[in-house]
Amino acid sequence: MDRAHWYGRGIKAGFRSVQVGVLFASYVGFGGLIHDVGFPLGAAVLSTVLVWALPAQLLLVGAFAAGTAAPAVALAVGLSSVRLLPLVVSILPYLRGRGGGRGPLFIAAHYLAITTWVESVRHLPGLPAEGRRPFYFGLVTVAHSGAVLCTLVGYGLAGTLPHALATGLLFLTPISFLLALTRNARDLVDHLSLAFGLALAPVMALYAGTLDLLWTGLVGGTAAYVAHRIWEKRA
Amino acid sequence: MSIDAALWPYLLVILAGFLPTEIWRSAAVLLAHGLDEDSEWLIYVRAVATALVAGVITRIVLVPTGDLVAVPLLIRVGAVGGGFLVFFVAQRSMLLGVLAGETIMIAGAWFTQAQ
Repeated sequence: MDRAHWYGRGIKAGFRSVQVGVLFASYVGFGGLIHDVGFPLGAAVLSTVLVWALPAQLLLVGAFAAGTAAPAVALAVGLSSVRLLPLVVSILPYLRGRGGGRGPLFIAAHYLAITTWVESVRHLPGLPAEGRRPFYFGLVTVAHSGAVLCTLVGYGLAGTLPHALATGLLFLTPISFLLALTRNARDLVDHLSLAFGLALAPVMALYAGTLDLLWTGLVGGTAAYVAHRIWEKRA
Repeated sequence: MSIDAALWPYLLVILAGFLPTEIWRSAAVLLAHGLDEDSEWLIYVRAVATALVAGVITRIVLVPTGDLVAVPLLIRVGAVGGGFLVFFVAQRSMLLGVLAGETIMIAGAWFTQAQ
């Protein structure tokens, strides 16, 4: 099988993904928001292309609207984006391929965000080694270019969405992630880390400050891993 | 000398948006060096990543921001529960699960707003 075949399969998977559809709807919401706060469309599109992480983009636009100083914005975005680190580390071993330098890996890492992580966890382990990288690039091509398009569409639609529907857009993220993680969970460790993460987040949100999601991941993930090791030793 | 006001948002995107996110992605490439797909470390890192993404879910539902604040807790939790239930009843169909949860949420937001 050649690379074009796997790239095409990745593109197809992107179009068939509910998760990617949800991402598109969220970017329509983002486009509407930037229109409302007076953030320039060109800069918003640039943020979708370069930042490619909706929580960070929302921070950026919110800070712009509030007139926050740039170094403070950079710090907030940097802290909220630590979450990308474990996501990227857990996917890269599947993208390494044979030979070749790290150059392509830096490019691949740029396109990893929560949505593309969910779809990568789902698809990559089951693919033959030579198909993984082209499949991944096909998938992220659809997600990334579609999100840019949806930023534009949302800007154009701004103000026309009924309020209840706009609220529905905000709810797409939690419901779809919950179902996707449940679907992706295969082993005990997956189920435990899902359950621990769900349970810990509200506590961490109240007591762990700005890095609360990172703490949720570290504490919940470590507990799930330890339980998995104990279980394996007994078995 | 001042920076042209029209250029400011673009600079903000690059300096305060792109650089502080890309630094973590690049650090991950360096950290993942030598990590192999069957290693125990990968199981651990995936557990951390999964718990983190799971955290995003309850954080938005239980400690919401923006328009979701106006929707009562019972409806937010009910929409998650309804979506989850339909997902399993419909043989793990993500599409039907998401649609069911969304229907409850949008209807809830609609009636809350109408009151």
